[in-house]
Amino acid sequence: MVTIGWRTRRLAQAAFTVWAVITISFVLIRLMPGNAMGAMMVSFEQQGMSPARARELVELRLSVDPNKPIPVAYVEYIASTLRGDLGTSMAQGEPVAELLAAALPWTLFVLSWSIFISFFIGISVGALMAYWEGGKLDVGLTSWAILMGSIPFYVLAILLLIFASYRWGLFPSGGRQPTGVPQGFNVTYVRGILYHAALPVFSMLVASGVASLGMRGNSIRVLGADYLRVARLRGLSDYTISTQYVARNAVLPMYTTLLISIGEMFGGSIVLEYVFNYRGLGLLLFEAYNQRDYALMMGGFVLITVAVVTTLFIADMTYSWVDPRAGGQDSESY
Amino acid sequence: MTTSQSTYLDDPTANDPVMEIRNATVRFGMERGESRVLDDVSIDLERNEIFGVVGESGSGKSMLASALLDAVVEPGVLDGSITYRPQSGEPVDVLELNKNELRQFRWEEVAMVFQGAMSSFNPVRKIDTHFIETLTSHDYDVDEGMERARQLISDLYMDPERVLDSYPHELSGGMKQRTLIALSLILEPDVLVMDEPTAALDLLMQRSIVSLIEEIKEEYDLTILFITHDLPLVADLADRIAVMYAFEFIELGPTAEILQHASHPYTRLLLKSTPNLASPIEAMRPIEGSAPDPVNVPSGCSFHLRCPLADEQCVDVDPRAYPVGDGGDHVANCHYWEDAPETIPMTEEWDVEGIDAIDSAPGPSRADGPLVSLEDVEVHFEKEGGFLDFFSDPDTVQAVDGISLDIYENDVVVLVGESGCGKTTFGKTAVGLQEPTAGSVKYKGQDIWDLKRTGGDGSMSFDAVRRALQIVHQDPGSALNAHRRVGTSLEVPLKRWNPELDGNDRKSRIVSLLEHVGMAPAEDYIDRYPHQLSGGEQQRVALIRAMLMNPDLILADEPVSALDVSLRVEMMDLMIELQEQFDTSYLFVSHDLSNARYIAEKTGGRIGVVYLGELVEIGRPEEIIHDPQHPYTQALRWATPELDFEGGGMGGESPVRNIDVPDPTNPPSGCRYHTRCPEAREVCTTEHPEPREASAADFHEAACFRTDERHEYWQSPSITDD
Repeated sequence: MVTIGWRTRRLAQAAFTVWAVITISFVLIRLMPGNAMGAMMVSFEQQGMSPARARELVELRLSVDPNKPIPVAYVEYIASTLRGDLGTSMAQGEPVAELLAAALPWTLFVLSWSIFISFFIGISVGALMAYWEGGKLDVGLTSWAILMGSIPFYVLAILLLIFASYRWGLFPSGGRQPTGVPQGFNVTYVRGILYHAALPVFSMLVASGVASLGMRGNSIRVLGADYLRVARLRGLSDYTISTQYVARNAVLPMYTTLLISIGEMFGGSIVLEYVFNYRGLGLLLFEAYNQRDYALMMGGFVLITVAVVTTLFIADMTYSWVDPRAGGQDSESY
Repeated sequence: MTTSQSTYLDDPTANDPVMEIRNATVRFGMERGESRVLDDVSIDLERNEIFGVVGESGSGKSMLASALLDAVVEPGVLDGSITYRPQSGEPVDVLELNKNELRQFRWEEVAMVFQGAMSSFNPVRKIDTHFIETLTSHDYDVDEGMERARQLISDLYMDPERVLDSYPHELSGGMKQRTLIALSLILEPDVLVMDEPTAALDLLMQRSIVSLIEEIKEEYDLTILFITHDLPLVADLADRIAVMYAFEFIELGPTAEILQHASHPYTRLLLKSTPNLASPIEAMRPIEGSAPDPVNVPSGCSFHLRCPLADEQCVDVDPRAYPVGDGGDHVANCHYWEDAPETIPMTEEWDVEGIDAIDSAPGPSRADGPLVSLEDVEVHFEKEGGFLDFFSDPDTVQAVDGISLDIYENDVVVLVGESGCGKTTFGKTAVGLQEPTAGSVKYKGQDIWDLKRTGGDGSMSFDAVRRALQIVHQDPGSALNAHRRVGTSLEVPLKRWNPELDGNDRKSRIVSLLEHVGMAPAEDYIDRYPHQLSGGEQQRVALIRAMLMNPDLILADEPVSALDVSLRVEMMDLMIELQEQFDTSYLFVSHDLSNARYIAEKTGGRIGVVYLGELVEIGRPEEIIHDPQHPYTQALRWATPELDFEGGGMGGESPVRNIDVPDPTNPPSGCRYHTRCPEAREVCTTEHPEPREASAADFHEAACFRTDERHEYWQSPSITDD
């Protein structure tokens, strides 16, 4: 009986997901109601192009040749996707890959800050709640966490927009960078960027609610563990116990939650960036959708999927490094 | 509760107590009332003695351990006084220490080893960190301390470098427990409190650790308080034994005195209820009733509800400590201590009955051929490597390696062996829960895995096989669905297999079964959830559930090891009774030879001894117990604690050369036992012994060259060093 290592299996799973997504995007371009390619051809022909010229353009923009047999077209589509050639945007006339590459850093910037801050808050608050389990602070913070967990982030986004921006004018209501400031690594520009990113980041802090509840549960479990009792009897300092014993063990399960939430946040960025008119990946995709810019939509679709699959793969691979017990399936009970 | 006091101050040998406990009481305020989980206990712990404390679970013995370190968990309140007298220097009043002094006192003067060694280490830090952080928080010199740690670990027969560089989960249970002992001694304490330090381990490891404790005690000049529920285990080790019942001591004395002249009825009943190898099985009797609730301890003598000697005086007056015998060092809290030995004799009129019972044991009917037949079964698991050996071949764990066994109708086979030797895997293979990687498993002549894949010849369905082969798990708590009432859980097999029964019939059948196993009133039990049952009751429900399938063979995986000693005999009796009633066969898995003997002897079954995936000896219990041929069986026999009523421990040198079982991914060549066998000779390292007839008795086979008088083994040079 030959079994393959779980890492190899996991890698194969990731590769399969990526392949499936590329395939789906190919099928969608071909079969989308209203026939995306046909529509493009027609629109070019209406602009007075010859059918041959129109086909050439479509082929260039979608990396799909409408006249080739489907299997050949499929293989070529996959090959060009893997090379990073995602076609050309119909609306903007630029290569999709370049458009995505220009927008991605802004989204990543907002996302990484929201994840970092919300998990930092979530874990600290959760630890506090566990420490004073059953006390007033615990009850108060739990209600807060449940409230945060139940508000959709875009509702918070609109509330923030109304109050922090329009009413009080604390933050800009949209955009991603200050106007009239030279781009580059200077204080005003960096401050402006942070200033513009603040409200989107705050809106995503709803994630801290769920995180803090998770952390609270984990910590309470760890606080009751035998090794904590032994550690106290051994006379270890409170600092060692709280950092090396409680925190370390309670945070471990949060690692997976964190990486999964990255995927959710990518999806959420479409709405978020639209609300704040923040020119990142999300807004780009939203506009592509409005303009029926299929090449751009599919490119973004593939990019987000690959990003999420990669994060989850990294999470799985590094978990055994974070937690020494998770060395694959343990065969302790033979 | 009256003002009871168990004071043992007039002990003449009490000249140098290292700890004096006076009127220690632990209270918990609960909604139902105040609960006293330690009731006015006074005791002196003599310097350099091993003091054994024995009691059932819930008798307050762990609370005593916590009290010694002033570590009673909130919201418990500890009153009384605890004085620690160091070798030199002033006596210390432990309960008066401030936070910092207490931190120093714990582990530097008095250290503790818990039962849960599995969970006593921080799972994400290596073992050496545990030693280092302990040393640094007590301002000890780390280099010197780690030197001591290495010495301690090798004194406990482990490789210091390997252990220190491991994560806790990488060590076996026995190694973790020994590492915890080393960790408890790292700051050179005078007193070591051990709270059930071996309960989670199998017998051979328990015995090995107990003999190590004796060595360690001598070498490091320790006083040890050893707490356990297992009287025979501590009998071999302790200088004095105290028996706890209902949160106080009820009898105390030198070990030999307690064993020979136990004077409290509870002690006597406890001794009788303990399965062992020496006394006849008919003499083993469970204690009726259950331990009292801490909120509502009976007035007068707390044992009077369960005591055969109790009268009005016991209900009204809490007995003081009566001195027993002339020595003055043996006391019992019983008004009728003089009458107890007569009323509760240790050996009953068993001779006639005993022989009768063994003769009438049903025994298997071999005429119809085997019910389940396993031939040359192998189960190999592949083990994952680390991240770095991504591409290397995975290691193979040979959990079961070529075992053949026939189980007949109404047969009982008990598999014994250490943990990790493959007995459970083999058991699961026998009931079709684990597919063997080689060999065949046949049910009534039909290969069950063929049947599953191809559907067989139509004479039998895999579903029918599945139903005929059932399992009862070790931990009844997790085997029952926590969100289902007892009645609902039990209805499922009836609905599936007896669709002709309507709701009322099902209910009446379940009620009668529950009553039959002693769970009355059954109407009340039907509506309970598993967590509202005791461990013994849960196990009964799990057993009934398996029985309702009307199976031919039940695999019972350590069905009694989760239960208190005093409940085990009762549970085993019940299982035997149900076997006769339901006409099934059992395959028991146990690490305890005395339980194995009890079941096999009462049912006329066989005991099979498993070592590293091989069946090394099988036979009737009489042969396995009294005439073991394989050295491993002899080691298990040694490891089974004996109650020696005649005095003097059985003790003896450990018959194993290595405490730990070899790595099953790389089992030794030749005879797998040769690395630990005291009789190993050179031929054992290369040649593999096949099972052969071991004695004149029926069905007795052993896989050892020593059973063959003409084997070249006898000419081969010995490989044991000592």
